[in-house]
Amino acid sequence: MSTENLNTENLDILEQEKKNVDRLLSMNYLTPDNATFAATPGGFVSLTTAEKNWPRVTIYRAFPFTQPGQYLSVREPDDKAKEIGIIQDLSQWDEATQSLIERQLALRYYMPTILRVHSIKEEYGYAYWSVLTDRGPCRFTISSGSSSVVRLSDSHVIVKDIDENRYEIPDLTKLTPKELKRVDLYI
Amino acid sequence: MSINKLYSDLPADLLKALNNNSIPCQDPIIWANADMDTDCTFRIHVLVLTRTTLIHGSAPEHTTRRTMTGFGKPEAIDYSTFTWETFELSTLSNPTVDNLVVGGLFHVVINDVDTPIAAYTNSYNPRMHKFKDLFNKLLEGKEITEDQLIERDREQICPKCGSPYPDKHRKICPKCIDRRSIFFRLFAYFKPYWGLLVVVSLLSILNSLCNSIWPYLNGTILYDNVLSKNMGKIGEYFPSVTDFFQWILILALTMAGLKVLQQLFGIIQGRIIANIVPNVVSKVKSQVFESIQSLSVSFFSKRQTGSLMTRIVDDAGSISELFIDGLPYLLPNVLTVIFSCYVMYSTNWLLALVATLVLPPAFIFVGKLEPLFWHYWSKQHQTNRNLRARVNDNLVGARVVKAFGQQDQEMARFSKANNRVLDAQMDTVKFDTKFHAIFWIAKNASIMLVWAIGAMIVLNLTGSSMTYGTLITFVGYVGLLAGPLDFFSYIFRWWAHSMNSAQRIFEIIDSQPDVVETLNPIPVDTLKGDIRLENVSFSYEANKKVLKGINLHVEPGKMLGIVGKSGAGKSTLVNLITRLYDPTEGNIYLDGINVRDMSFADVRRNIAFVSQETYIFRGTIFENIAYGKPDATKEEVLQAAIAASAHNFICKLPDGYDTMVGSGGRSLSGGERQRISIARAILANPRILILDEATAAVDTETEKNIQAALSKLIVGRTTLSIAHRLSTLRDADSLIVLEDGKIIESGEHGQLVRQKGAYFKLLQIQSKALAMRGIED
Repeated sequence: MSTENLNTENLDILEQEKKNVDRLLSMNYLTPDNATFAATPGGFVSLTTAEKNWPRVTIYRAFPFTQPGQYLSVREPDDKAKEIGIIQDLSQWDEATQSLIERQLALRYYMPTILRVHSIKEEYGYAYWSVLTDRGPCRFTISSGSSSVVRLSDSHVIVKDIDENRYEIPDLTKLTPKELKRVDLYI
Repeated sequence: MSINKLYSDLPADLLKALNNNSIPCQDPIIWANADMDTDCTFRIHVLVLTRTTLIHGSAPEHTTRRTMTGFGKPEAIDYSTFTWETFELSTLSNPTVDNLVVGGLFHVVINDVDTPIAAYTNSYNPRMHKFKDLFNKLLEGKEITEDQLIERDREQICPKCGSPYPDKHRKICPKCIDRRSIFFRLFAYFKPYWGLLVVVSLLSILNSLCNSIWPYLNGTILYDNVLSKNMGKIGEYFPSVTDFFQWILILALTMAGLKVLQQLFGIIQGRIIANIVPNVVSKVKSQVFESIQSLSVSFFSKRQTGSLMTRIVDDAGSISELFIDGLPYLLPNVLTVIFSCYVMYSTNWLLALVATLVLPPAFIFVGKLEPLFWHYWSKQHQTNRNLRARVNDNLVGARVVKAFGQQDQEMARFSKANNRVLDAQMDTVKFDTKFHAIFWIAKNASIMLVWAIGAMIVLNLTGSSMTYGTLITFVGYVGLLAGPLDFFSYIFRWWAHSMNSAQRIFEIIDSQPDVVETLNPIPVDTLKGDIRLENVSFSYEANKKVLKGINLHVEPGKMLGIVGKSGAGKSTLVNLITRLYDPTEGNIYLDGINVRDMSFADVRRNIAFVSQETYIFRGTIFENIAYGKPDATKEEVLQAAIAASAHNFICKLPDGYDTMVGSGGRSLSGGERQRISIARAILANPRILILDEATAAVDTETEKNIQAALSKLIVGRTTLSIAHRLSTLRDADSLIVLEDGKIIESGEHGQLVRQKGAYFKLLQIQSKALAMRGIED
């Protein structure tokens, strides 16, 4: 392969790539001092930093279950979702920003919480759940063959229905013994 | 052939509502429902896209009660109360769907303001994505063809009850199937043995007959006839026997004979059953294994290996339990109950009533507890499956565990799973003992009662009278009832157990492969090796496209290099060509024939695959090389091995080509395994060769060897080669660069270098990096 004639630009490109990689591999914290979030007319969130203005950003949780309010990853809204920076702790921001970002998070991580388990009926490989969630009564179906219930800890579980919708039981011990017995089979 | 449903077919209620609100709806393209507001409160929305407008309707109030897929037909929506808004398409741009953790959010730019319209849960996901795609096409001014409007998903609906199939790979509606049909399907496995099963049943009927005579001989005849020296009617049958001792002898012999007969029946029965069970079990196992083989790759990525193993090994065994230990004894037990009751009631109805009083509550009790049996068994099974999966994980990852010194943690994890199994087993045992204790008490209480009341009758305290022998006979029959009762308590469990296993087994047997072979394949003997992809898109999940609109053409005998970052879709692309998956959109042609119209055998005979993941199965090296051509001669294998530069290392092995490799056999290095798989490909002599990072796992020295072997192999074959190391692609006739599922550059090496695009950049980084490390390319 003749690379001789290409060598002139090699260093530049390598340098550039190195910078890119460095940027990719370092943590870039967004703080109230270096970044400003604002609501867009449509109800999304925009971000302005010293370098750039993003008309819209999306926000992801790094630890959705264990640290929902910390280490929030702010990303570009397109398919690639390149990371812009990390919010280390949301509580360090002013209240308006907090509620703005929390609204976005609530949408992205939407998941009903199961409060009561009325009944679970198992039939030919599927289990039909009838529950009360924080958003009202709900009935859904899980497949009992594969792992539809994910155990995050001894008492915290996520239930996935056949459409991959998710429901959370944050604390199994809060269920009544009878409800626990119903759920028990799937955990 | 069913009439194609179209996305543009609006439901009558929706049309009527639009009409009543005088909203024009000319030429609809697609409509879709969503079920949430943009703040995630439940509310039904409807979107209708026409060639000029977007119509958005929303329900007047929040939905509080939710029913997700699996509960029959989706609830009807009352569109008449909806609030409507209409947007001219000219004011809209950039319709987008944001994938949320669950479901998504649909938003569109209205007059330069990016506005969220509605959010939805996953059930609405595929259709909303289709909606967005067509919307984009329309805005871009692209033509929307009739074909794009055909709604294929709609076929995934149970024709009987109208509810969507919970698993689209298995066209079975769990609502419309009942356990009995599982039972009859199971029964089919025993059909070839029906003659033997009839014999088994007959034998057990004879057996229970012997059982039923016993109390009579033991009671009435012994006490009332022989011991009280009053042979009565029986004496008339044997006029020659007069002596008391002779009578005792005859009775003793008869009783002994009965017992011998019973044993004999038992032995014959046991032998027949021992003959049937292994046959049926192995047949079920091989059927499960067979259907697993025919399933598409996606099936395996969704399930744990351990749990699949349990299904093949254990479940097949436990389904035969019902048929072997249960059903053949059903009739005899029923007959025993009827016979005993008949004898008892004809002897003394009062005493019989006392004895049988316990029966109805016992049956109700058993019926009530049956679901619990089911529960405990399932639980036990599930914990066991988890344990297996854990052990499987650990064994596969043994090296990593040791390298990180995490044995203790693994132990802890194991004992956690193990304790769960223990708990589940304890629960089952506890339940079992409780159940049987109650059963035992009920049984014995009735015998005690019979003794007590019977004694009063014999002693003439009640007015009626009865001989002592009759009482003994009576008690014998009461005892006889215990057997069937016990049996009925078990048969529920066997039933539960077997149906449970059968259900899991049928889940596999009934699974539909995603990639289905056509019924009338176009016969293809040897391909020339022309590959053409037209507008191919693919997604593993509904909302994440891995390949987007790929067009490419490789002429016979040419080599195409595929370059791109990890996750760009390179491996997916070649998997589509071998039909491990089918494209979601677009078509793939080999020699101008759509791969969907070819048989699997024809496609795969003509394509060989050498990938980074080498598969060496248990067997000799010879068998491993001859895998794709089992009738290969020794000479052919030798030639292939030499061409793959594998011959040398194989010959140096003590057992040469007869060396056992694979699990439990001799371990081979990465390079050795790779060369064996290359030899396999050479021997298969395919027209199309796919190299997926074939040399990524080996050192430079070995790579050179393998490269040399490969360059021999690719001559005259259409070759698709994926590589990170661009130097491996130096022989390629043309190259494509994939990024995010799209071809961003294509052409031959020199051309791409001149273009100074992505390929050029990659090339520079690599050659420079290599030069800096002192490796000359």
